[in-house]
Amino acid sequence: MVDLLQKAAKNYTVRVFVQAILTIWAVATLTFLLVREMPGNPIDVLIEQILTQEGVSYQEAYDRVAASFNFDPDASLLDLYLSWLGDLLRFDLGTSITSPGTAVIDEIARFLPWTVFAVGMGLLISFVLGIILGMTMAYYRDSFLDHSLSLLSSFMTGVPNYIWGLLIIIVLGIQLDLFNVGELRGTYDISLTPGLNAAFVLSVFKHAALPITTYVIATLGGWMLNMKSSTMGVLNEDYVNVAEARGLTDKRIISAYVGRNAALPLFTQLTIAVGFVLGSGVVIEEIFVYWGIGHYLFQSITVRDYTSMQGVFLILTMAVVFSNLFADLTYGLLDPRVRISGDK
Amino acid sequence: MSLILPPDIVLKVDDLSIVYRTDRGDVKATANVSFELRNGQALALIGESGSGKTTISLALIRKLPKNALVTGGRILYQRNEKIKDVLELSDRQLREFRWNECAMVFQGAQNAFNPVLKIHRQFEDTAQSHGWTDKTAVRKRALSLLELVRLDPERVYDAYPHELSGGMKQRTLLALGVLLNPQIVILDEPTTALDILTQRAIIDVLNDMQRQLDFSIIFISHDLSLAAEMADHVATVYAGEIVELGAVNDIFYQSLHPYTHGLLTSVPTLEHAQDLLQSIPGSPPNLIAPPAGCKFHPRCAFADDTCSKDSPPLTDDVGGHLAACWHTDRLLASRKARV
Repeated sequence: MVDLLQKAAKNYTVRVFVQAILTIWAVATLTFLLVREMPGNPIDVLIEQILTQEGVSYQEAYDRVAASFNFDPDASLLDLYLSWLGDLLRFDLGTSITSPGTAVIDEIARFLPWTVFAVGMGLLISFVLGIILGMTMAYYRDSFLDHSLSLLSSFMTGVPNYIWGLLIIIVLGIQLDLFNVGELRGTYDISLTPGLNAAFVLSVFKHAALPITTYVIATLGGWMLNMKSSTMGVLNEDYVNVAEARGLTDKRIISAYVGRNAALPLFTQLTIAVGFVLGSGVVIEEIFVYWGIGHYLFQSITVRDYTSMQGVFLILTMAVVFSNLFADLTYGLLDPRVRISGDK
Repeated sequence: MSLILPPDIVLKVDDLSIVYRTDRGDVKATANVSFELRNGQALALIGESGSGKTTISLALIRKLPKNALVTGGRILYQRNEKIKDVLELSDRQLREFRWNECAMVFQGAQNAFNPVLKIHRQFEDTAQSHGWTDKTAVRKRALSLLELVRLDPERVYDAYPHELSGGMKQRTLLALGVLLNPQIVILDEPTTALDILTQRAIIDVLNDMQRQLDFSIIFISHDLSLAAEMADHVATVYAGEIVELGAVNDIFYQSLHPYTHGLLTSVPTLEHAQDLLQSIPGSPPNLIAPPAGCKFHPRCAFADDTCSKDSPPLTDDVGGHLAACWHTDRLLASRKARV
């Protein structure tokens, strides 16, 4: 048994996995405390309301609120924390405080896929575009094209994504009237039945188009500039020079010799970007009234729904931690040099 | 082209001149270089760093840096009695010419292989780009070549570059170099950066390969002992010009140019005592504004007024041994006096 544990402690995969779990636990604990330290408390607000409106005694108002909220405001923080943690181990995120009977995990399952879809599409498009444009800039460096694209990417990166979101709505939606902002609320046209039919899929893409565009604009510049400098480094490598001397076709050199090596460092940054974009997506989803996890989080914060907030924060944390873990474990597939000896 | 070359000539460089355009002016890296390479010959280009050896070799496969400009000359390549001028090949023809006809093994093979592809993929890439798509046949030839360079063929063929040592990579690159049966293999400092035993192994491997595979070698080095061992002909390059050209023994025992002579006396030999070593005074000339006349005259012990005015032509003094010097006789006389 001890032997087995020692072996496990030495195994890279086990080690990073344990690290990931510890990180999630630490963030979850912090979230638990911070959420409760936020000013404003849903119970007090409602008790106050019942007191003034119905003129009942404090105790009665308190009992009614406590009953309807499925929440005991007198329980000690430690007790709450321990029972929450216990539930967590059973993947139970509890029920919503403000709408009793609704399991937080169900709500997350309802909202999260839309966010994953929008953020995933946005990152995928901007990553692929960024790699192509960045390589083009490196191949035509110091040309007019390179200079204009450099300027454009600095500008795109420099302006915060919520400004891009507002600009898109105000300039494209309202002033140029290219689309109806009101119709694009939500994640799909509610008159349609969800399923694999053309009208529904089209509607899904239409509703996600604006958030996706915003994510693309806000992250594209970074990929372009990174890919440009990475490609310029690779172009000076001996193996590219030798590949040209070997008479390889340009197509092969650009894809397998330059592109693949230059894109390697960007894959690590991609996982960092996942976390960043998920986090900043809260504001973007609110701007476009896109009903994803960010929208749900925003609603929960407004009414101080502790369990929902904890649930969303936990899920976002897990998304970031696991995408990092995924990158750690798969980087070796892309770059044979970092493969841990012994587990080829 | 109505041109005719003797059938055993694979390469004839004619009056080749190359400049590098820089902010400070044009660097005349190569001036009026002419030489021939025969089938099976091993020609060494020797000279100091910056003398233009590498520029000449890069020009042969048109792999010069972007700021280089060929200002004149021809590079005639012959295979099966068909002659083409390398400088006039289209992009497509050039790509086909490279490696298929003329392979170049670059200085320092440490980074010559794509780090993310296995060795066999890089052999296959090379073959495929030249229209050879039968992977089994490529594998068969590659394994036999890897064996020829004394590597464990199966292991190396299936390895990633980082799993090979420096000497192994150098030998793998040699094997890759002859994969397509080129007529010419250019070796740029093939043993620099390797330890002395690995150097030895590389030289043996090269000798073996040349014996078995029948190709010509152009060999660039500042290591004279290596040149003496590998080459049958030697060209001394100074300030972008070939100043002496001849059979290896003629060059090493009967050098006709003071610069070659200077190079030789700056290297220890078994026959002479260490204290006879001399370095060549001065430093290589500025190639943006090279000296008038013979470019070596500011550093030459035999120089006189003629040398600073007129540039000596590369002339055939003794059957096939060419030198560009006005005072070959003085050099010979001084050597006789010393012996």
